[in-house]
Amino acid sequence: MSAGAGESAYSFSLTTFSPSGKLVQIEHALAAVSQGTTSLGIKASNAIVIATEKRAPSPLVDDTALEKVSVICPNIGIVYSGMGPDFRVLIAKARKSAQAYWKIYGEYPPTRVLVQEIATVMQEATQSGGVRPFGVSLLVAGYDSARGPSLYQVDPSGSYFMWKASAIGKNMTNAKTFLEKRYNDDISLEDAIHTALLTLKEGFEGQMTEKTIEIGIIGTSTVGPVGGSGLKAPLFKKLTEAEIKDYLAL
Amino acid sequence: MTSVAPQKSKSGFDFSNYSRNHFLDGKGLGGFTATSTGTTIVGLIYKDGIVLGADTRATEGPIVADKNCEKIHYISDNIRCCGAGTAADTEFVTALISSNMQLHALHTGRKPRVVTAMTMLKQRLFQYQGHIGAALVLGGYDATGPQLFTVAPHGSTDKLPYVTMGSGSLAAMAVFESGWHKDMEQKEAVDLVVAAISSGIFNDLGSGSNVDVCIIKKDSTEMLRNYVMPNERAKKEQKYGFAKGTTRFTKEHIYSMIQKEDVFEVGSTAPTPAPLPAAAAGAGGEETMDTS
Amino acid sequence: MSDITTLNGGSCIAFKGKNCVAIACDLRLGNQALTVACNRDKVFKITDKTYLGMTGLASDVDTLRSAFRYRLNMYRMKEEREIEPETFAHLVSSTLYEKRFGPYFIEPIIAGLNSNNEPFIAAADLIGCLNFAKDFVVTGTASDKLFGMAEGLWEPDLGPEELFESISQALLGALERDALSGWGAIVRVITPDKVIERTLQSRQD
Repeated sequence: MSAGAGESAYSFSLTTFSPSGKLVQIEHALAAVSQGTTSLGIKASNAIVIATEKRAPSPLVDDTALEKVSVICPNIGIVYSGMGPDFRVLIAKARKSAQAYWKIYGEYPPTRVLVQEIATVMQEATQSGGVRPFGVSLLVAGYDSARGPSLYQVDPSGSYFMWKASAIGKNMTNAKTFLEKRYNDDISLEDAIHTALLTLKEGFEGQMTEKTIEIGIIGTSTVGPVGGSGLKAPLFKKLTEAEIKDYLAL
Repeated sequence: MTSVAPQKSKSGFDFSNYSRNHFLDGKGLGGFTATSTGTTIVGLIYKDGIVLGADTRATEGPIVADKNCEKIHYISDNIRCCGAGTAADTEFVTALISSNMQLHALHTGRKPRVVTAMTMLKQRLFQYQGHIGAALVLGGYDATGPQLFTVAPHGSTDKLPYVTMGSGSLAAMAVFESGWHKDMEQKEAVDLVVAAISSGIFNDLGSGSNVDVCIIKKDSTEMLRNYVMPNERAKKEQKYGFAKGTTRFTKEHIYSMIQKEDVFEVGSTAPTPAPLPAAAAGAGGEETMDTS
Repeated sequence: MSDITTLNGGSCIAFKGKNCVAIACDLRLGNQALTVACNRDKVFKITDKTYLGMTGLASDVDTLRSAFRYRLNMYRMKEEREIEPETFAHLVSSTLYEKRFGPYFIEPIIAGLNSNNEPFIAAADLIGCLNFAKDFVVTGTASDKLFGMAEGLWEPDLGPEELFESISQALLGALERDALSGWGAIVRVITPDKVIERTLQSRQD
């Protein structure tokens, strides 16, 4: 993926196309993503599961503070592969954007709308002066009345895709091949969680425990009250360590 | 910044009509009445937590604009806020703070505290020097225990074991002053709140209709909407029904949302409209079908 | 009477029925006591099954009508769906509250059926305080009279034709006693499969 000799002259100017039509800084950003730990997402018949490998750079790091799956608003959660600090910036922007939408429409944004917001922020970083592209790919899991459960991937270029199942990060190629073989249109959330764990296990370095992975789910089985109204809707929920431990034991 | 939504100004308010309206004011054409909640709102601390109470009348001058509005607003799962004053202001300032509290909770990863909401509210109200006409009773249960505050429109706050606000606050406080004591049981506390709100409903013209109650304890929040309804309208014994055709109209237009489609196979000629008798019913496919 | 909200006159009312809603308005446009036009419809189509009525300062009604047209078109394109009446009510509310300290002099009412064909009505004051009523909402120079008429004539679970008669008589009754509204009226009854629009005869004085 590295820029060829002829393209090195274009490597540092973010906003200049190389003669072969590439913006090499964006490709470098993708390279940063593929160095990140693997994350994946699967769409079940009435739910979405996103999961990731969480690895501390050193055994001395206190990993209780590490967080890779984040809640954006009650109906949407995100996981990333790539650079942690860049992810935090996007999370802050996404949360603000979701709240701004709520203040106008009295409801939280549909997944697609929020994804477009995030993708716009990421695209702007590929065309603005003085900035670099975000070094992350995201998997966005959400549920809304318009489209039901949906899973999106957003890349550093600002392009986004809707998936039935996808993987990003270090092991994405293998994980995607694995998911292609395994994927089935009408699987339950429980089955999807197991498939997610099996996929992560492929090429997992070291021991896979409740401390080294994170899982987020949303669907018709994670329903709860939204705000003060008595109305109930699917809520994005991070599995606790105890819950993950139970799934790993099965 | 990008936004899906129509852009709001930085402060959240747009003053572009202000000079026009000021000019109209000068011509003696100005002046408007926004919906206000004359209101009786109360809160008290009891043995296990907080009980909040509110009436449900909204007024526009002497007119009752809403007979059953909700004045106990959601801030977070463990915090609620009663609002009195300009109805839109109480609605929007509590929504704003609820939104900011949610962001704060996601950012810190902790359950939000009542003082945080109280501080956000008083800073917002002080910033607007009383022009945001919201008088609030804020209550909740957090890591530091049960918390109860009042926030006045100019941003000053009080921290007391029992509080009242709104035009019916005197009527309600009279009840609290004689009935409140330390470590009340839940039943006793709810009854006292109902008595205080009822005192507002029946003695203050700005308050009326029903009693809403909210009980906030360590691990639960219970919203009792229309807990007491002492002013139900007596059922009409008969109906004013008008026979069809009573009202004379000069024109009628019907916009049908049912699309009628003629479906026929590609390659076949458009069939003649004459429907085939029962014999052709089994043939399928070839004849015209109406689908709705 | 020299109040900006009553300068042009006009009134609107909406009734909730059984699987249907009705929204009606008068047709007068005035300049204080002078009647300028008698074809001023105050109810606007938002989606096939959602309508918005606005009374108050006519120029502000026009301004907001185009503001909402813009916002709705943007919503339709971005979200690839039609707005629900509940969501639209919040959009109206936040649009009005944005101008809290320099408001538009209008009071809107919203009537519609949502995607499950459940009836929905709402009203707001000029700075966007929503009122979700379970029976009826009124607005305009005849609002106090309309309140009285509606309290008397509204019944629960009226079908489309009964609802038409009921809302029409409520509106016509109020128009009899409001100098600033009248000169004809339009009633729209929204049902799951059609909208019935009828123009009523009313006094011309």
